[in-house]
Amino acid sequence: MDLNDAVLDHLRHVAALPDVTGTRYELESEIGRGGMGVVYAARDRQLDRRVALKILDSALAGEAQLIAHLEHPAIVPIYETGRLPDGRAFYAMKLVAGARLDHYLDGAPSLGERLRVIRRIGEALAFAHARGVIHRDLKPQNVMVGEFGEVYVMDWGVEAVAGTPAFRAPDARLNQRSDVYALGALLQCMFPGTAPPALCAIADKAMQADPAARYPDAPAFLADIERFQEGLAVEAWSEPLWHRLRRFASRNAVLLWLLAAYAGVKFLVFFLRTP
Amino acid sequence: MNKILVGLIWGLILGAIDGATAGFYPETRNLMAGIMVGSSIKGMLVGLLSGWFARKVRSTKWGIALGAAFGLLFAFLVAAMQHAHYLEIMMPGFITGAIIGFLTQRLGEPESARL
Amino acid sequence: MGGPHGQFPSTQLSLLEAASSGATLPNEALERVSALYWKPVYRFIRVKFRKNNEDAKDLTQSFFAAALQRDLFARFDPAKASFRTYLRMAVERFAANQHAAANRQKRGGGIEFEPVEEPAVTAESPEQVFEREWQRQLFALALDDLHAYCEGFGKQLQFEIFEAYDLAGGDRPSYAGLAARHGVAETSVTNYLAWARRMLRQFVTERLRGVTAGERDLRGEMRRLWT
Repeated sequence: MDLNDAVLDHLRHVAALPDVTGTRYELESEIGRGGMGVVYAARDRQLDRRVALKILDSALAGEAQLIAHLEHPAIVPIYETGRLPDGRAFYAMKLVAGARLDHYLDGAPSLGERLRVIRRIGEALAFAHARGVIHRDLKPQNVMVGEFGEVYVMDWGVEAVAGTPAFRAPDARLNQRSDVYALGALLQCMFPGTAPPALCAIADKAMQADPAARYPDAPAFLADIERFQEGLAVEAWSEPLWHRLRRFASRNAVLLWLLAAYAGVKFLVFFLRTP
Repeated sequence: MNKILVGLIWGLILGAIDGATAGFYPETRNLMAGIMVGSSIKGMLVGLLSGWFARKVRSTKWGIALGAAFGLLFAFLVAAMQHAHYLEIMMPGFITGAIIGFLTQRLGEPESARL
Repeated sequence: MGGPHGQFPSTQLSLLEAASSGATLPNEALERVSALYWKPVYRFIRVKFRKNNEDAKDLTQSFFAAALQRDLFARFDPAKASFRTYLRMAVERFAANQHAAANRQKRGGGIEFEPVEEPAVTAESPEQVFEREWQRQLFALALDDLHAYCEGFGKQLQFEIFEAYDLAGGDRPSYAGLAARHGVAETSVTNYLAWARRMLRQFVTERLRGVTAGERDLRGEMRRLWT
């Protein structure tokens, strides 16, 4: 069988499932390439369950150690780390059945749903930041929404590879505020087209070029989102008067109706009575 | 502040305002003092009862309903004492009671807040 | 070359294991080596020493014959280089010696003339050519193994689909097209391809194991191959 170069390269690529003998896993298929390695769907022979196996290009355990001690519903749990026969490090984690955020958004979820997702992401960030872990490469491809609506943030601590400039803060430093920038960018991409002006303002504030002008941390960002959801004034937006009145009216609709009813009754009685 | 206190304060305020609107009617102008006192007391009673209810039950709908009912009742009693102005007293009294009921639901700390 | 054996890839003995009995390798091991390395050596000689087709063939044959006789493999030290590199260097030495001997002959004799030269047809270095051909031959042999296995175990359909997709020269057919053509579901196409690729990998590994000197050499070559 004579193979030309193109076919040879293709075969090398597709047959490249790494050797995992000596581990308790059986590789099934490649499910993604990102960060510093490749992720495979695999089966844990001992516990008879499917897991995600991330095999790192280098011998460093990298992100696994970073997040293994972070227990949070939105941070994917790490089950095990180890080393392959060829020297590469790997770790096994929960296999999330669901959709990547960009695909999830194709399903046109409601405003409330989108905000719920962005809040979960923000909470995960807040949790990690409080423990000294920065994500550094937050983007829709790194967020999964599970089949029960649970949200997972993945690929922690990996420096963004050239290719996600939209979510990378313009200043070079990677810290909490750069994560906030990415959070704002995420918010923006969750509402393509018409978004409420308050949300646009929140996103803009998070994506300020000057880090000092952004929200200082994820909880501040979340607080503004919460205020938006409760119909309160948002820190990021100085709203025009008529908008403020409209908001006040919607929040206090019942009271306003009762007052209107009182005035109405008073007038009615007054005019009915007057001969 | 607890809800009973909220009810008393707002009941007083709204009762006083309600009483003050009697000033639109020329024939009651000289009775204003009495009307306002009476109306304030009426409001405070409604507020007291609504506040007590709001501590037990968290439901804006039922708060409004009960406040309106109490407002109507006391307004009726007042009107009955004078055998006159039933409509002018009862209808605003009904709505005022509703407002007091709403406010006691929305404001103040419920009982469960103190643990 | 690379005779098919219709059975599950049996674990091959590494060269070291095969040589453990004595200084020379058993024929079976040598056959495995020449099956894989014949073409790469030939191409290497053609490019590096600018030989024509016939001369290169002769030289290649001579090399393998000499290697057989001269315990070439026994002198291999896995700590220093991979077997592949060692073999290539051995070819260089051998061919250079032959070249020098031929020149000495010519100088002593009559008119000198250079053998018919064909320009190197590749922009790659001879070493790169050698490695490329080695990869090519490795996969070719593994594909033969896979084909034979599929024939022997009634997996012709899987092989056909694999061949139609992964061995396609130009545009690859779509999964849906393949599914329709073979009367199976699209998920089956995915599964068959995954299976065939896994098997191919195993056959490649076994072929590789038979021409490397132990686990470390094997792992190094695997890493090189798959990245």
